[in-house]
Amino acid sequence: MLRLTSGRLGSLLARRPTACLTSSSRARMLSQQSHEVSETVDMSRPMYYDRLDSPLPDKPYKDVLSDAEQSLKQKEKGPWAELTNEEKVALYRLMFSQTYAEMKAPTGEWKTVVGGIFLFLGFTGLVVWWQRIYVYPPHPRTVDEDWQAMQLQRMLDMRINPVQGFSAKWDYERNQWK
Amino acid sequence: MAHPSQLGFQDAASPVMEELLHFHDHTLMIVFLISTLVLYIIVAMVTTKLTNKFILDSQEIEIIWTLLPALILILIALPSLRILYLMDEINDPHLTIKAMGHQWYWSYEYTDYEDLGFDSYMIPTQDLTPGQFRLLETDHRMVIPVESPVRVLVSADDVLHSWAVPSLGIKMDAVPGRLNQTAFITSRPGVFYGQCSEICGANHSFMPIVVEAVPLEHFENWSSLMLEDA
Repeated sequence: MLRLTSGRLGSLLARRPTACLTSSSRARMLSQQSHEVSETVDMSRPMYYDRLDSPLPDKPYKDVLSDAEQSLKQKEKGPWAELTNEEKVALYRLMFSQTYAEMKAPTGEWKTVVGGIFLFLGFTGLVVWWQRIYVYPPHPRTVDEDWQAMQLQRMLDMRINPVQGFSAKWDYERNQWK
Repeated sequence: MAHPSQLGFQDAASPVMEELLHFHDHTLMIVFLISTLVLYIIVAMVTTKLTNKFILDSQEIEIIWTLLPALILILIALPSLRILYLMDEINDPHLTIKAMGHQWYWSYEYTDYEDLGFDSYMIPTQDLTPGQFRLLETDHRMVIPVESPVRVLVSADDVLHSWAVPSLGIKMDAVPGRLNQTAFITSRPGVFYGQCSEICGANHSFMPIVVEAVPLEHFENWSSLMLEDA
């Protein structure tokens, strides 16, 4: 993707949808026959690409053919039943770089990505651990167990959130959580 | 106040806050539905085996996905505006209190009958008695009679502050030189906590608000005591 020039990208994005609109007037939608549709001129250069969702790239994979390949292309103009299997495969490889099976083949890239994520998470965990030991100030005394217990009792006595929230979940008759 | 690790709203202590809770439930349900639909569409798009994906035109679905969001927005806007106007209704308050924001405490003035005024400073952590709430308790609370409409005029003495009490559904900016009015009525007695909600300097996080709603006789006793002490 990084090696795409803007011209090539334009070709990739512009040609396929606009090709449907401008290439054949018979393909125009009913809705568009009643008014003028301005001509869109595609000035991008044809490029080759392997994409699952676009089966026919702008140009063949191999443009410059050796003599043997050129004679094979000539033979392709005749009846295809006369082509051997190897010739058919060779013609395919002239036209396309990868088969659909090759395009869909798993790459294992996900393992690198997931591994990298875990690596960074682990590193962050180490940094946080170091901070807890060397940087954090001491806890305020209100976080101590006994203070929290007294605070909880005070919240219940004050009926904090008695409708659906905190005190609503306490059974005052039996002195326990519901 | 919120209990530790609370995620949702505090229980409502005023009718307006109850309305806001219901509105939030309604809107959040719509939001969850839309988000689930979008997530499903994203997953379907990413995992599809189809290669012909460039359908260029379809009037029917375009009509649907234009009208349906408009309808959803109307369904959200109508309750929203209803509550907006509800909050501004004339409610004939029994009591008017002025809440003035200072750096870094609140002061309350009850001047309807007598001249009662006092400051409300946060109790520092080292001065708390065991069981009190850190950063929330104040030395003097704003005491009001329960189930009585109360008007609060919020202003500030120096910089911007904001007077907020979540369980009453109130947040009103305290602007120097300006009087902002808000009103509420408490449906139940209790103590309701809030915190300053506009950055106002070093101790912005340390100037809480405590509203205590008590029966009228208690309120009268309290105000007499406060006037004697003053």
